[in-house]
Amino acid sequence: MNLMEQTLKRCLWSLLALAVAVLTSGCASGRTLSATSWVRTGDALVDGRNAISNAPPKDKLLWQCRTAATAMRRGSVLEAKQILDAVILRIEGRFQGDRSARKARSLFGEESKKSFIGEPYERVMAYYYRGVIYWMDGEPDNARACFKSAMLQDSDAEKKEFAADYVLLDYLDGLATSKLAGDGSDSFKRALASAKTVPPPPLDSSANVLFFVEMGRGPTKYATGEYAQELRFRQGHSDSRVARIVVGNQTVIANALDDLSFQATTRGGRVMDHILANKAVFKSTTDTLGNVALISGLILSQNKGTQEAGLGIAAAGLLSKIISSATTPTADTRAWENLPQYLGFASAHLPPGQYSARIEFSDSSASPTARTTRLATFTVTDPRKDIVIFVSDQTQ
Amino acid sequence: MNLNPKSNWNLNWKHRVARAGRAAVALAAPLILFSGCASSGVHNPRGVPVTQMKADERGFVAGTGVESQDLVAVTDKMARSILGVPEIANAQGVPRIVLEPVKNETRFPINKDIFLTRIRTELNTKARGKVRFLARENMAVLEKERALKQSGQVTSNSDPNVVEFKGADFFLTGKLQGLTTQTSKGISDYVLYSFQLIDPRTSDIVWEDSAEIKKQGLEDASYR
Repeated sequence: MNLMEQTLKRCLWSLLALAVAVLTSGCASGRTLSATSWVRTGDALVDGRNAISNAPPKDKLLWQCRTAATAMRRGSVLEAKQILDAVILRIEGRFQGDRSARKARSLFGEESKKSFIGEPYERVMAYYYRGVIYWMDGEPDNARACFKSAMLQDSDAEKKEFAADYVLLDYLDGLATSKLAGDGSDSFKRALASAKTVPPPPLDSSANVLFFVEMGRGPTKYATGEYAQELRFRQGHSDSRVARIVVGNQTVIANALDDLSFQATTRGGRVMDHILANKAVFKSTTDTLGNVALISGLILSQNKGTQEAGLGIAAAGLLSKIISSATTPTADTRAWENLPQYLGFASAHLPPGQYSARIEFSDSSASPTARTTRLATFTVTDPRKDIVIFVSDQTQ
Repeated sequence: MNLNPKSNWNLNWKHRVARAGRAAVALAAPLILFSGCASSGVHNPRGVPVTQMKADERGFVAGTGVESQDLVAVTDKMARSILGVPEIANAQGVPRIVLEPVKNETRFPINKDIFLTRIRTELNTKARGKVRFLARENMAVLEKERALKQSGQVTSNSDPNVVEFKGADFFLTGKLQGLTTQTSKGISDYVLYSFQLIDPRTSDIVWEDSAEIKKQGLEDASYR
């Protein structure tokens, strides 16, 4: 190899090294905030508040959702209300076009770089919690609006038999309609039709104490496939399936009417799954092409007659490998991970007075021992006004 | 013809360097293109200053729900329409109207009273005394004030024992109803805003009008 050829080769490799540097350097203008840029205290509510202020903008809504659920369980309803209003505004505004969403679709953009607005089962819960708070505030019509919007999030499932099949959302739509002097029977019929195991309680518009119950830990996400491009849902878990509520001289049962793991896993594929699959094929193809071109090019470059062509092919192969490594088909596994596994509901009709309700969570209504017990005290002043009690067997 | 071998070598060298240069450009161009620098840059990195907009114009932040431009369009139409009702336009005295809460049957949680508040203010501003609204939502305070006057704790310009609280000649109420369609591509929301003026003496609906607004939004594929 003469001096000239060596010089040329060096030039070529320097150029490729420069290209790699350009490709991998990224741009300084991207805002990179570490998820650990705040000090974790171990208190989910405090950490959630800090995360909302300090987490990267793309994760803000995720932290808002998590924090709202914790606030609901801790009884910080006002805080949950404010957070959920912001969450719902963002969800409703998703038709604006989002730069990060567009980037997530590109070959070199990771899906997890897009602004989180959650999968449908997660968005459903944002509306559900806000609906519960509206009812607490004496606005059953706005609560009903939230339950309708929640149901809408689940209405475009690929598998139509699982579209808009939340028992509780239809039931609450019907109950609110009955309480507003409307006819809630159609919604109740839909709730009955969607009930897989236990039917919802009969519509009782005279009931003035409403118990919204949630149990266990809901589904989370993980990814499978050669490049982790396939989004999967890990089933949640709950020791309880039933809440037995003892209040005054009454005992009412809140059964698990909806299962969020079921809801997460029965929607079928997403459009984004096809995009990620295409990215994975592109990544695999460019990688294989790169291997073939690199090896062929290096072999050809050994021969003096084909040296230049060989170097060119090798360079093309290297470029193909670089493009392959820059392609990111990884699925977004960020999840609203403190959602419950089951949603339940019960109601009672109570005359004015002070009450202390004992809520016993167990694995079946026949179970003699409660796994977890919660107490709720409240006062009925006007029997025409609903008292809403939200209870969870989780604290975080 | 230049037969000098050194000169020939120089020519060849220059030719090869030029070719390498062209190859460099050819290689660097797609790499820079693919590196995605432009897409990770942030537009308006310092944010955009607050933009003041008219309430009746569609802003650059919009959804498919009930927004200020809908509120303005609907209430403007209703206020104009009410003034044309013969029972109002040709009334002997000044008709008194009481506002009843609007019913929300859409999927959008909203502050329902805002519709009636705007219709009331529009009518009070533009009707020039053709109608009056009764402050029924303040009845508790008004009754308390009257009781203070009756007990002599505060002064009164008229006999406090004479009932002067006026009764309603009409009730103004409304209803918001919605139809929503969602597919894997996006969402379509139709909202019907209907308002009624009811004569409480006869239960006649003396006036009714409606406005309808439909909005659609396509979702980014990465959220579908």
